[in-house]
Amino acid sequence: MNVSDLSAPRRGQGALIPLLLALLVFVGLPALLAGFDRGYFYQIANLALIFILLSASMHLVTGVAGLLHLGHAAFYGVGAYTAALLSTKFGLGFTVTLPLSGLVAALIAFLVALPTMRLVSIYFAVATLAIGQMLYLVMLNWVEFTKGPNGIIVTKGLELFGFSLSGRLATYYTVATVVALCVLAIGRLSHSYYGNALRSIREDDQCADAMGVSTARLKMEAFTLSAFFAGVAGSLWAHMTGYISPGDFKFSESILILAMVVVGGLGSLPGAVIGALLLILLPEGLRAFGDFRNIMVGLVMFLSILLLPKGLLGEVSALQLARRQLGAAWRNTVKGEGIGWR
Amino acid sequence: MTHLLDIRNVSRRFGGVLAVNDVTGHVDEGELVGLIGPNGAGKTTLFNLISGFTPLSSGTVAFDGKTISGLKTNQVARLGISRTFQNLRVFPNMSVFDNVSVGAVGALPQGALGALFGSLAGGGARSAEISRRTWEALEAVGLTHVAGELAANLPYGQRKYLEIARALAMQPRFLILDEPAAGLNDTETRALADFIKRLHGTGLTIMLVEHDMTLVMSICQRILVLASGRKIADGPPDAIRRDPAVLEAYLGVDA
Repeated sequence: MNVSDLSAPRRGQGALIPLLLALLVFVGLPALLAGFDRGYFYQIANLALIFILLSASMHLVTGVAGLLHLGHAAFYGVGAYTAALLSTKFGLGFTVTLPLSGLVAALIAFLVALPTMRLVSIYFAVATLAIGQMLYLVMLNWVEFTKGPNGIIVTKGLELFGFSLSGRLATYYTVATVVALCVLAIGRLSHSYYGNALRSIREDDQCADAMGVSTARLKMEAFTLSAFFAGVAGSLWAHMTGYISPGDFKFSESILILAMVVVGGLGSLPGAVIGALLLILLPEGLRAFGDFRNIMVGLVMFLSILLLPKGLLGEVSALQLARRQLGAAWRNTVKGEGIGWR
Repeated sequence: MTHLLDIRNVSRRFGGVLAVNDVTGHVDEGELVGLIGPNGAGKTTLFNLISGFTPLSSGTVAFDGKTISGLKTNQVARLGISRTFQNLRVFPNMSVFDNVSVGAVGALPQGALGALFGSLAGGGARSAEISRRTWEALEAVGLTHVAGELAANLPYGQRKYLEIARALAMQPRFLILDEPAAGLNDTETRALADFIKRLHGTGLTIMLVEHDMTLVMSICQRILVLASGRKIADGPPDAIRRDPAVLEAYLGVDA
């Protein structure tokens, strides 16, 4: 076979799914929300979006690069506190705090990654657990700086260059846009040659090293990037709810995000999104069952892992789907199947 | 003339064991060299010393006139030294195409920006280049028809070729094959020998690490023999076959 026979790009073969998703998020859902016009539904939608971003960012480090991260919520907290403190102490608005929250979270992640990246498997997991706890304790106990357990009231809502976006629908659109852009970026990372290099580290880091992959550097990058996106989610949360406290970023939140990634499918970005939706919407949908709902949520998680250990949408099918539907152009095709990427 | 690979007085000690003891040797551009020796002779250790997997206790290794001892494994790889593994180490949960592409990714700049911003940061061209190199390597070993399969689903023989393809996707100057014939039957070994000869025919410098003599004797131009960590012979196959030290090491007879 000759490369040139096979390199006919099959562009635009299936832009249908991304188009439908965009229509759903930016037209269908807002129409529904406006139709019901209940603040509670808006809150759920925004919360789900923020957790989609948290789950997607953890997918990059835990699902793709295979580093078990038990302190993700702490970087979410760093982002939220950065936004809240910048906004209350210096009067900065969302437009400025959004990127800064991401950058501060990324900076702290980078600094803690320097010594921890040499650790492997369970040792790395325990190190991230410790980092998460340390950051949480700073939020909780450094009362002069973070106001401790009282939390911080953030009076400034969402805005873009001074133009207020704090109405219900405007807030939804802002959160949806930021989350969609971030998930798109994470998708580009995880479905490209870069994601492949991270996957090779997960599969066999020594072997990846022998293939010329800079394993230490890529692990640092993945960890730092994922903290950046968690920080962005924190800023959204702080400005959206108007009140943050350390409880929002405790260990159990890290575990919740981890559960989303695992239930959805380790290594699968669509899976991470589905997992986040499931674990946010299910408890809300089961409110009618009162105290039993948490047991039912646990049961759903348990059964999904038991019956679908690779996740609701596993990595292999997710990659095929993403490369066919989102990857735009294929270099090579065999028997009508796309192989490779743009 | 400088040798492509120049090994000088290399030793490696593991606790009280001297696994590689003062070995000196070289490989020239375009050669197909065999490295043989009985089990435990230090072949794989020497090989790991070259590729930076294991640090040297003493001595130097130079590649293309440049000292590479002390470099990290991935830095050595990016200089153009590529390898396969004795105990197959494919990435099981990745497709065949993705496995091979890792070799191409490793040989090129790897930053996140290219992937994130695509053509704006040179990522588009790099992606295309990786796809091209991957496909060429798959064609070279004849695995294009299973490119979309998970590596874990391939039979043993094909996984061997998958490893070679992954190493080739790096477009190396020097390829080290660690016991490629292990676990293959006679027919498969002959096919492998032909394949290695064809690869060598493209101008690639190859070092073949084997403890089985037959394959090495049939295709290599020159053979280095290790026994108990020391180099005991270095020469063309015919001379090695008659070398008393080699016979002693392999058969234990007093020659």
